Amino acid sequence: MTRDLLVVDKVTKRFGGLKAVGGDAGLSFSVPEGTFLGLIGPNGAGKSTTFNLISGVLKPTSGSVILDGKDLSTARASDIASFGLGRTFQTPRAFPSLTVLENVMVGADNEGETLLSVFRGSWRPRERALRDKAKEVLERVGLTERINDVVANLSGGELRMLEVARQLVRDPKILLLDEPTAGVDPSLQAKLSRFLVDLHGEGRTLVVVEHNLHFLLQIADSVVVLQNGELLSNGTPGEIKSDEKVIAAYLGADHAA
Amino acid sequence: MNTLAQTALTIVMFGSLFSVLTLSLNLQYARGGMINFGTVAYFAAGAYAYAIVTQEPPHGLDQYLVGLDAPWWAGFIAAGIAAMAFAILTGWPTLRLRGEYLALTTFAFAEMLSSLLVNERRIGNGTVGLANVERPDANILGLSENIVYAGAAFLLMLATAYAFSRLLASPYGRAIDAVRDDEVAAQAIGKDIARLRFQVFVLSSIPIGFAGALYAMITTLVNPNLFSAEVTFFVWIALVLGGERTILGAVVGTMALVGFQEAIRAIPFESVRAAEIAASAEDIVTGILFIVILRWQPFAAFARRRQPA
Ligand SMILES: Nc1ncnc2c1ncn2[C@@H]1O[C@H](COP(=O)(O)OP(=O)(O)O)[C@@H](O)[C@H]1O
Ligand SMILES: [Mg+2]
Repeated sequence: MTRDLLVVDKVTKRFGGLKAVGGDAGLSFSVPEGTFLGLIGPNGAGKSTTFNLISGVLKPTSGSVILDGKDLSTARASDIASFGLGRTFQTPRAFPSLTVLENVMVGADNEGETLLSVFRGSWRPRERALRDKAKEVLERVGLTERINDVVANLSGGELRMLEVARQLVRDPKILLLDEPTAGVDPSLQAKLSRFLVDLHGEGRTLVVVEHNLHFLLQIADSVVVLQNGELLSNGTPGEIKSDEKVIAAYLGADHAA
Repeated sequence: MNTLAQTALTIVMFGSLFSVLTLSLNLQYARGGMINFGTVAYFAAGAYAYAIVTQEPPHGLDQYLVGLDAPWWAGFIAAGIAAMAFAILTGWPTLRLRGEYLALTTFAFAEMLSSLLVNERRIGNGTVGLANVERPDANILGLSENIVYAGAAFLLMLATAYAFSRLLASPYGRAIDAVRDDEVAAQAIGKDIARLRFQVFVLSSIPIGFAGALYAMITTLVNPNLFSAEVTFFVWIALVLGGERTILGAVVGTMALVGFQEAIRAIPFESVRAAEIAASAEDIVTGILFIVILRWQPFAAFARRRQPA
């Protein structure tokens, strides 16, 4: 057994009367180090909200999230990111006033971002290494030709990849990807799938929300199925595929076909 | 010196001085995304701090309590510290606020300071203000005082522009841009948005304090009337004129606005009536000019061409 890098423990989230995540009992699952976890469920099931609760964009109504042994209850979103959590958003969020390259460079650590470092100019020697690293990551996600572009010129799929690159340059311990293939040109989907498989192969810990079940069930180590914010099923792709509840509620006829 | 040269010198002097404020506002707003509608307060804090530190202890009819009779440079440093302290005081509780809420609270803080200066006479003689503010003897260089102070203002502007451009060209500047563009995404890459916003706010208020000290030296007088909300609006108009986001734009916008006002003031009028008409015409023409410039943004285009960053 590898250790659990991320533990979601009896987490609930309510928006007014709406039990968006966890129902009454709370949502619990864990992500062992090096695992590729698929998170699936119909629209509105609470997948993105779960990401927001883990990354500190939202605070749980009850329950707790533990990252690498640290309780995140009182941590701000920026602290959680610094602890080694990376995430992308379902709607890509690029920084429009920065170029593609700068969008990635800004993702790297904060060493050069103190007034002292500005005053001394001590960020300069690091800058070149940072630029090289950002270019390397951009090459991996296929954006090499866009390096000096403004983000306004990128397609939806490219924006998604930019966001992934901005997280990868930080070398997060765990990376949460919210629908990374949505809106991506079908011709690039295969390439993107390979990219995710590669990331997993490097030993990265990934949690991926994905609508393409066929693809996800092929490459994930384990899958969490959400419905109405609650855990419907949790297991290996093989177990999920044969789970009656999942078939009835979600995979349905589509899967049978 | 002829009138034309005098006017040019006045434009350089006040244009440079107010450019310091515009540059600070540019950093706070155009880069930091914070709307500060109380700019004048940090300027006033600097001017009063300078006057109080350098003036003689009270005597006769003076109502103020403190006069340290310290040298000008001590007053100058105190001005930067006073503006910074006021920024810490006002920034701490308000910087969590967004957009127009921050605008309102900074405006309210400035009004509070103004009313404090009027009503608490032990600070600076209330509405009477502090006259005969001490200033260094400029004659030692053999130049006229106007030239020396115009030069000092110009240097302060250059120093401010240099410091800010150095800040913005670094990873720190990149992080500021990211925070302004999208706070949630910036947090997702570990940016401490509260720290960055607070630092930018406090840091950019320091040159405003220095400019306040220089202003007190130039006018040799500080009173609450000199530090009304009009100053804040003046600087905002200058920033908009220059187009947002560039350092050169902030300077060009301020110079153009000061230049325009000084040009009108320099016209010799035959009668009081003519001067009155000119004064009201100035407001109207300023308004029209403002609209025209906003529509076509000539200075912004100029600044962009010069500074492709
Ligand atoms: N900030 C919010 N305020 C109110 N309701 C929200 C908020 N965010 C999400 N919800 C609601 O929570 C539920 C789960 O949404 P979401 O997590 O986006 O689902 P999914 O990502 O699985 O499609 C939906 O009913 C949604 O309307
Ligand atoms: Mg979603």
